[in-house]
Amino acid sequence: MSDLPSTPAPSPAEFVAPMAPLVADWQHLPARGAKLAAFSGALGSAIPFAVASAFLSRLADFSTPWLVAPVVGLLGAAFGAWLGVKRHRRTLWKLDEQGFALQRGRWWQTESRVPISRVQHLDLKRGPLERAFKLATLVIHTAGTKMAAVSVSGLDGEDAERLRDRLARQLDHDDDAL
Amino acid sequence: MQTEAVGEDKPERRLHPWSWLFVLVQQLKQFLVPLVALLVFGGSGGPGGFWAGIGPLIAVGVLVVISVLQYFTYRYRIGRDGLSIRDGWLHRSLREIPYSRIHNVVLHQTVLHRLFGVAEVRLESAGGQKPEAQMRVLRLDEALALESLIKHRGQAPDADAPAVQADSLLSLPTAEVIRLGLVSNRGMIVMAAAFGAAWQMFPDQLLAHYFERFARQLFGYASHLHYGWITTAAAAAALLLLAALLLRLLSVLLALVQYHGFRLSEEQRRLTVERGLLSKLRTSVARRRIQAWTLHEGFLHRLLKRRSLRIDTAVAEQQGKNDQRALKELAPIATPDACDALIQHLLPQAHWPRSEWTPLPTAAWWRLFLPTLVFIVVLVLALVSYAHTAWALLPLLWLPWGVYAAIQQARRAGYAVDERLVAIRGGWWSRHWRFAEIDKLQALRLVRSPMDRRMGTASLWMDTAGASGLAPPLRIRFLPEAEARSLYSRLSHALARRRMRW
Repeated sequence: MSDLPSTPAPSPAEFVAPMAPLVADWQHLPARGAKLAAFSGALGSAIPFAVASAFLSRLADFSTPWLVAPVVGLLGAAFGAWLGVKRHRRTLWKLDEQGFALQRGRWWQTESRVPISRVQHLDLKRGPLERAFKLATLVIHTAGTKMAAVSVSGLDGEDAERLRDRLARQLDHDDDAL
Repeated sequence: MQTEAVGEDKPERRLHPWSWLFVLVQQLKQFLVPLVALLVFGGSGGPGGFWAGIGPLIAVGVLVVISVLQYFTYRYRIGRDGLSIRDGWLHRSLREIPYSRIHNVVLHQTVLHRLFGVAEVRLESAGGQKPEAQMRVLRLDEALALESLIKHRGQAPDADAPAVQADSLLSLPTAEVIRLGLVSNRGMIVMAAAFGAAWQMFPDQLLAHYFERFARQLFGYASHLHYGWITTAAAAAALLLLAALLLRLLSVLLALVQYHGFRLSEEQRRLTVERGLLSKLRTSVARRRIQAWTLHEGFLHRLLKRRSLRIDTAVAEQQGKNDQRALKELAPIATPDACDALIQHLLPQAHWPRSEWTPLPTAAWWRLFLPTLVFIVVLVLALVSYAHTAWALLPLLWLPWGVYAAIQQARRAGYAVDERLVAIRGGWWSRHWRFAEIDKLQALRLVRSPMDRRMGTASLWMDTAGASGLAPPLRIRFLPEAEARSLYSRLSHALARRRMRW
């Protein structure tokens, strides 16, 4: 540790890529991600709806589960897609001097903030569908408990990379980071 | 093998020669249930009687070989900046642990360890599922030397220099430990766990059958007596009382075994706790590793004029396993003044005890009462539709008490925030104070539920590392929105300015 120079020479990469600018205003997720959000929302709620309705129709002796389950499943898919689109539209993020902030939901609103100094590590994920839409999921890990990982899916791919580079910057300078 | 050691002045060391025995005991513990089950239930007479009989012996033999192999392959070296541990025979691993990353050192001695004069050492860093290193076992003086070496970050204390005397901050005499047993529910937890284990281990019908017979005998005996319902009720109450007394007694016994000789001491900004009657535990943590503090005063605590002080550390805690070994309790039980003095000493910037608390808006009591109301109403509706008797309305009697409790809770709830610390207090029947340094906050969240939006309020969550699910969350509820927003941005500013310090 002590035999290293106290101020390490900046690596070539730092010269090429200047500090990514801050994004101080609330940013919407790109609109092209809405389809994906609808799709995943539909997929997520269709199966529970179908299973629950089949079970209930057996219990209440109403019609036959073979008819009820697909119908309710489709309705559930539509509901999930609607919810997914709404949620997608109501997800906003920003990055200012105080760190990363994320706003979610209209009915049940949350606003989360992760200061840059508290970022532990970052994951950038791109599934095959997200790649097709040029989207990415950014997961910000903190040392916290309840908010140990703040995940934003449906970010624009380039935005996500910029965010990652900006948030990861302090990790390089922080020699005592765990 | 020896060439690597040339550069370092410190030689490689091995564990204690008896360590294989303790590794074996540990492994046997894991396989104990299947082995016993095999011996008891799968005994002779079954198919393949010979192999079923000799199987356990083979298994134990294999375990012995593994344990001995582990002894011969496990080496550690105490370096200048850290500890390096090498182990494995076919699958080898070398692990370097810098002293600065070790958050917690645990020395553990069961009765068996004490007979051989050895101890198990566990080094833990923040996060993760497993301890950084588990040295099973070292000679006791070597273990203590290793512990003090880690405390001094690798610089062996000079033999000539006067030894720094550890300041004793708190020690519990036996009377206090008995009080601790009285207020704790350890007995109940242990009984519940024992029932659960018994239910899983024994064949289903055996236990159920036994209970059924016992209950039938009891009721048969009672019906012989032909008493009125008042006598029956009294008998039932007496039985319940007896059970409660027995559980308390068990709690006291457990507390005596676990907390006998409890001593909290401080040496060079490091806190050490020693405790245990049969198996001794010595665990230490640096003062700056403390993430959050919880002061708790239950109803029984209040009767005995005592409180308890717990801390959160970022040390790995095995999920689902309530690990008793990490240093979690600074004062399992102590007078309120002693708790306050301890906080003042360890966290002077907290200015504890606080006198200026920002109270909750007084109208917030019905928000606290709302969940109770909804639950009771749903319960009564379900009971009425199911039973059709007036008795189903009985739960409604809880409502006045609920209102009273909610008003009291709302009166006591409050928060205090300054440049260095956030603190919340809450509860009435069972009270808590929870606080953390602002440097130790990891993230913030502002939540507005539909009800919050109607009432123009919000709640602010503050996240710290290592918070257990049992501790009350560090959150301020029912704040007027403007106040919540200003607090949120104030804290965001403060967090962005200050670096996190472990």
